[in-house]
Amino acid sequence: MVMMDAIEAKVEQGQRLSFEDGIELFRCRDVVALGQLANRVRERRHGDKTYFNRNIRIEVTNVCTASCLFCSFAKLEEGMPGAHTMSLDEAWKELDDLKGDPPTEIHIVNGLHPKLPFQYYEDLLAGFKRRAPSVHLKCFTAVEIHFFAELYSMTIREVMTRLKAAGLDSLPGGGAEIFAPEVRSRIARGKATGDEWLEVHRVAHSLGLHSNATMLYGHIETFEHRVEHLLRLRQLQDETGGLLAFIPLAFHPEGNGMKNLPAPTACDSLRTVAVARLLLDNVPHIKAYWVSMTPEVAQMALRFGADDIDGTVVHETIYRSAGSRTPGAMTVNDLVRLIREAGRTPIERDTLYDVVKDYGSSLVPEASFKVSERKADRHLRAMS
Amino acid sequence: MSEITVPRVRVAVVDYLNAQPLYVGLEGAEVTPRVEVVRAVPSEVARRVAEDEAELGLMPVAAAAAIGDIRMVRGCSIGARGAVRSILVVAERPIEELETVALDLSSRTSVVLARLIFRSRCSGREPRWVGRTPKEAIGAVSLRCGALVIGDPALQVEGRFPYAWDLGALWWEMTGLPFVFAAWCGRPGALTEGDERLFAHAKAEGMGRRDEIALAHARQFGMDPDSLSSYLHESIRYEFGDEERGGLERFYDDAAREGILPKARVRFYDEDRNASVKVPVLDSLLARAAEGERLSAAEGERLLEEASLFDLGLAADAVRRRKHPGDVVTYIVDRNVNYTNVCTTSCRFCAFYRPLGHAEAWVLSREELTRKLTEVVDAGGVQILLQGGLHPDLRIEWYEDLFRWIKREFGLGLHALSPEEILHIGRLEGLSVDRVLERLRSAGLDSLPGGGAEILVDRVRRTIAKAKCSSAEWLGVMRHAHHMGLRSSATMMYGTVDTRRDRINHLLKIRDLQDETGGFVSFICWDYQHEKGTRIEAGEHGTILYLRQQAVARILLDNVDHVGASWVTQGPEVGQVALRFGADDFGSVMFEENVVSSAGTTFCMNPPAIEKRIRAAGFRSARRNQAYAYLTVPE
Repeated sequence: MVMMDAIEAKVEQGQRLSFEDGIELFRCRDVVALGQLANRVRERRHGDKTYFNRNIRIEVTNVCTASCLFCSFAKLEEGMPGAHTMSLDEAWKELDDLKGDPPTEIHIVNGLHPKLPFQYYEDLLAGFKRRAPSVHLKCFTAVEIHFFAELYSMTIREVMTRLKAAGLDSLPGGGAEIFAPEVRSRIARGKATGDEWLEVHRVAHSLGLHSNATMLYGHIETFEHRVEHLLRLRQLQDETGGLLAFIPLAFHPEGNGMKNLPAPTACDSLRTVAVARLLLDNVPHIKAYWVSMTPEVAQMALRFGADDIDGTVVHETIYRSAGSRTPGAMTVNDLVRLIREAGRTPIERDTLYDVVKDYGSSLVPEASFKVSERKADRHLRAMS
Repeated sequence: MSEITVPRVRVAVVDYLNAQPLYVGLEGAEVTPRVEVVRAVPSEVARRVAEDEAELGLMPVAAAAAIGDIRMVRGCSIGARGAVRSILVVAERPIEELETVALDLSSRTSVVLARLIFRSRCSGREPRWVGRTPKEAIGAVSLRCGALVIGDPALQVEGRFPYAWDLGALWWEMTGLPFVFAAWCGRPGALTEGDERLFAHAKAEGMGRRDEIALAHARQFGMDPDSLSSYLHESIRYEFGDEERGGLERFYDDAAREGILPKARVRFYDEDRNASVKVPVLDSLLARAAEGERLSAAEGERLLEEASLFDLGLAADAVRRRKHPGDVVTYIVDRNVNYTNVCTTSCRFCAFYRPLGHAEAWVLSREELTRKLTEVVDAGGVQILLQGGLHPDLRIEWYEDLFRWIKREFGLGLHALSPEEILHIGRLEGLSVDRVLERLRSAGLDSLPGGGAEILVDRVRRTIAKAKCSSAEWLGVMRHAHHMGLRSSATMMYGTVDTRRDRINHLLKIRDLQDETGGFVSFICWDYQHEKGTRIEAGEHGTILYLRQQAVARILLDNVDHVGASWVTQGPEVGQVALRFGADDFGSVMFEENVVSSAGTTFCMNPPAIEKRIRAAGFRSARRNQAYAYLTVPE
């Protein structure tokens, strides 16, 4: 606890935490004390504001040359049972179907398909932009970008320059898993290394594209691997400033090569959110991705350091393939209620965190606390 | 005459002899349009104010401390300076030597006073207190047992016992201060200045009518009018000034120091008018909560409304740690068996029940029970939680046969039949609650589940479960069971039409009964599971609220040993985190549970899954039985 006190003092003074501090935080058994500390940082940055967006998820192909032990989504080859690649029209139709309530963001993540022409992806993006010029296209993880460069014999920069020209606005944070080679080589063979993942984001940022970052936790990695992963992201952010949000992703054990492992518990998820908030002092947002965590744990996470709950996420299939029982989509009302129940102020944002709609503060306990505390405070000052 | 536009002040009073001089003047025609007087027993007066059914009550001061943030009317009280004659401990031998004292536990102020005086005169020692009706209490007096008698019964036994303590006299001897037994109490802002004058006038009138009141009372109960007149004129004092305030604050301080009452101050209505109210800092309240101090209802409400999630969690965790220092979280292997889904109450929040004769109505056969119970035994289970609907055709013999059969064939613990079912069997058979419990106990009943408590505030119960028993009936069954030596759990289902105040009042009713009986082993709460088939809208609910609510319960229920996390309703994830918000028990493995799961909540966990979650939350895990004894070594 002495060490925890020292960490608390650092946090209070806004000092950067070390690798050892990160390990100590992960080892702290009292997740509530940890959460309180992370919450202080969260409220210092964002107050009660909690962000969500209206997005759709599209996975145009689940054909994949990589073989990730944790993945229950990808099918190795075209023609295998369950393998599917959308035609461009099919993909575009996903957006057309939502004409009445258009999303502000399309989030595309795919398998590493060995045969599709690069033109397919350019046309895919351009087609969406033709249909909805203002929609934000957050597409292709660093792993895909890296794969495109190898497959189509281009540099990373060339790939992204062409995709940007076709309409790409930012990169999602997927594919980071755990950077440490001894873990990565065991759970995520056949795809970009940690260094390569970071390089793709570095190049994206230099092209003016923002991006997110993730970490897949709760499988075979150690606390040391998690802290190292977070600190490498912090270092990248020091260099470029291009990361918008960090998203911890809980490992789900069903239907994949690690199904004998237990899924991380809520305490582990909340601890991970809290430590991420404390270590990543230069990343603006920590996201509690409700699809990964379950809506209940995501609600709690909004008090343990997270300030974003992701979006309406129409059509998510990756987590659902791995046994996630969370609903496939949420309406804006669902998300607003979820955030309100956690005593926070819901704010619809776009991908770059510009405010689309501020739903205002709620009347549930945590919020009313702030109001009456402030009132009491004023009152006491008036009397003295 | 001016038009009355303000709402009436509802005033609840006790109809004890010594209280009448304060309110007979209120019953006159002139004040009637503004004031509505309702006579009730002392505990009922406090309940009415606590549940906002009365603005003001002539209330025992202990009850005022329990409600908290109470204002009093200056100048009026029921008190004494020295001997009071109507609050006595009587015995056949020196009172310091008594092992047991029988008493009417509903008179809490007298009980608290008696405890303080015993502790002060017997170097911290107290006798064992046993609850009795006043008549029984006097009858119980023997060589080892004394009785605390109050009011008319006390006046009637004057001089009858060789040893008697007059608690008013002893308080005076101990402190040199007057004692205040009851005063006009209400919430802040309930009275105007004009209202206060009404009470002063009423008192002035009552003082002049003391002989008349004494005479009427003497005639009605066959007592001596002169003795009663002297009692009202000399023994009872009706002032409430600085000295009385000093006496009452001394009483509050001593009781709070001994952990018997929440910390309380005396504050008059007129003081609110002359100065702004100082709101105590929330941090000091949280610190007192973490220290395990007894808190008032008002303080509980404030915590529920204003404290941050983390502050509540850390305070509740501190309370848990003090009660269970080993960092062990327990769970039990048992099975919830619902013996029938036939029920006559049709609660609006229930998706489980079917009316008699419905195509989907069932009563479990012995074959089905055999299968289920064999599974329990095979899984290493130690008991079953047996509950069902209120079936109009199942007689007490059916339950007795069933219990004996289960004991004989399976040897499992029987945690069976909630108060509602006990009452139902009693009505069906024309038997008293005591008799039903006795028969079921001799057939094998081990303990009572706390189901059906919902919210122990009748306004709420009438809305969500009209046909169900009242709060007093529910608590009454538990009181009987506890007095017989049966232990039980207590529950709370919130999130329908209940307010935060209702939930706090619920917790305090459990705390009060626990003070009296000590029979509640554990407490568990959950929110209403709003789903298809239920007929009320969900009120305030959600994960964060659940954690807050459980933490506040852990803090307020200072006399209940165990708090369970309801993972069955909240899900394993929230259940796990709830262990950090005051819970020390993770409930049961789940074979099945029909009532909640028909409302759509279904989670399953086996022992390894439970143990893993307990450990991942930073605790050691141990299997337990219904008495919370470890069945496995914590690890």
